[in-house]
Amino acid sequence: MSVRTNVDKTVAVSVMGQIVSPGFPGLPASPYMVTADGKPFLLPTYGGIVYNVSVGDSAYGWAADTIHPGVSISLKDDTGNRGLNLFACVGNTAVIMTGDARGTKGVVTGKSGRFSEQVIIHFDLATREKLVIGDKIVIRAQGVGMDLLDHPDVKLKSCSPELLENLEVTSGENGKLNVPVVASVPAHLLGSGAGLTSEGGSLHIQAADRAELAAAGLDQLRLGDVVALQDFDSSWNHGFLRGALGVGVVGQGDSPRNGHGPGITLLMTSMTGGINPVVTPGVNLSDIFGLSN
Amino acid sequence: MSLRTNEAQLVAMAVTGNVSQPSLRYPGYTLDTNGVGRVWPGMAGVVYNARVGQPAFGWAGDHVEPGVSIANPDAAAEFALHYLSCIGNRAVVTSGMAKGAEGVVTGEHARMLVNFPSEANDLLCVGDSIQIIALGRGLQLLDFPQIEIKKISPRFIHSMGIEVAGGKIRVPVTMALPTRIMGSGAELNSEYVDQDLMTGDRDLMAELGIDQMKLGDVVVIPNADHRWGRGYRKDAVTIGLCIHGDSVMTGHGPGILTIMSSSEPVIEWVIDPNANIANYFQIGEVS
Repeated sequence: MSVRTNVDKTVAVSVMGQIVSPGFPGLPASPYMVTADGKPFLLPTYGGIVYNVSVGDSAYGWAADTIHPGVSISLKDDTGNRGLNLFACVGNTAVIMTGDARGTKGVVTGKSGRFSEQVIIHFDLATREKLVIGDKIVIRAQGVGMDLLDHPDVKLKSCSPELLENLEVTSGENGKLNVPVVASVPAHLLGSGAGLTSEGGSLHIQAADRAELAAAGLDQLRLGDVVALQDFDSSWNHGFLRGALGVGVVGQGDSPRNGHGPGITLLMTSMTGGINPVVTPGVNLSDIFGLSN
Repeated sequence: MSLRTNEAQLVAMAVTGNVSQPSLRYPGYTLDTNGVGRVWPGMAGVVYNARVGQPAFGWAGDHVEPGVSIANPDAAAEFALHYLSCIGNRAVVTSGMAKGAEGVVTGEHARMLVNFPSEANDLLCVGDSIQIIALGRGLQLLDFPQIEIKKISPRFIHSMGIEVAGGKIRVPVTMALPTRIMGSGAELNSEYVDQDLMTGDRDLMAELGIDQMKLGDVVVIPNADHRWGRGYRKDAVTIGLCIHGDSVMTGHGPGILTIMSSSEPVIEWVIDPNANIANYFQIGEVS
């Protein structure tokens, strides 16, 4: 690891979830959600086993609403699910404990927030074929409590030792942490998730204004891309602050809903500008972890 | 040219709620932007000394809800209370020592917010019933179908001093807010509650004069489309109402209730320091 941490003092602990079914409100509720232009839509959304969308694929263009690549898990018990959502870190190893694929390992690639609170895991396609909704998956959660010893102004969030090891971050001569990212999101294009916790959940890019999205160079993002969040402090919630900067990974796909778009799982934040984002093409979890389909 | 509406077609309907009790979750701390734990009042209950017309900033409180906050314990009835009540609607106390006292709906947060005279507040008990004569859902500006109207009562629309000229409306507002500070609430549909300003950048609040905002101020958010959900759209215009006070939490601040929005450039605004519902509804000082 090219930066010093207290990883040897961080605790690895089991958190379990079960593959969650996609859900909709019960009758007589209308099944439709509404686009930013007020049009009703009915599309696959978060949860379930997604067979044909994976980390590395485009975050845009799917006939879906904030789709989760791979497999989504949660726990019915609220406090237990909170533990799962808070302690699971991007890059942690997940092991299938029940069913035909038991023993197979996957990798945590993201989390979702308010109204879903699920953890998103990559398994290869052959494994996905063997899975059943309800299968139990244990994540060896490690990363919460991890600090960068030479960068006290940078807070890690949902960032596993495995990810930090492979992300190729370096300490710059100016004392800042250099982090490779594919793009930077300006604050006015960050929407849903603002004001909510940054220890789990997601912060969404706003994609309703397609011209603005393209102008910011964000319309080609892939699931798993690492991005910077400009002028946003995510120390204890997500919120606007000039000079602050966060780094996160695109965990969920685009959405037709206003204030929404690709969902970002936060990895690190500095309220005092201690992170220097270095734009580097292709910084994606699929390459970082060698994820195969 | 006058502002033509469909108000003759609107339905008036009773919805009800009860005076709420403030509640905290153990251990009660709210983290401020520096990560310091605070225990502050503000939400729910009867707030005796903060009402619309007073500052939105500066209270030793968090998300201060001016006046009386009411809720309905039945989930479906609670949504009806939220979706049907409109700003400026008449509210009547229907039980307890203050029975018969009349007030006015001034906002919608996690609960509906109602202003009553101080003499009535003194007599209210947590749990007392308040009935709102809901009127305004379905309101349209007949010459501006592209403007989405939300939670504006006929009384409110006619008190705002809106001018019609050149195929546009001009709305008096106290200030304009940049979209980059629009925060918590983006995850909700825009028929439900509010969207907080993100006031953690205190220097910016002072530079832009946003820290002078008052509870009840009518404000404009240029480049914001709140017709269905709340988000950025270049050249869209949204008019909002400040319904609760500032917050110490990151991503939070005074709450802005969406009241008008258009993606087409037909809403103009004029800065007017008196654009506040305390003036529109003759809400006096705390006595």
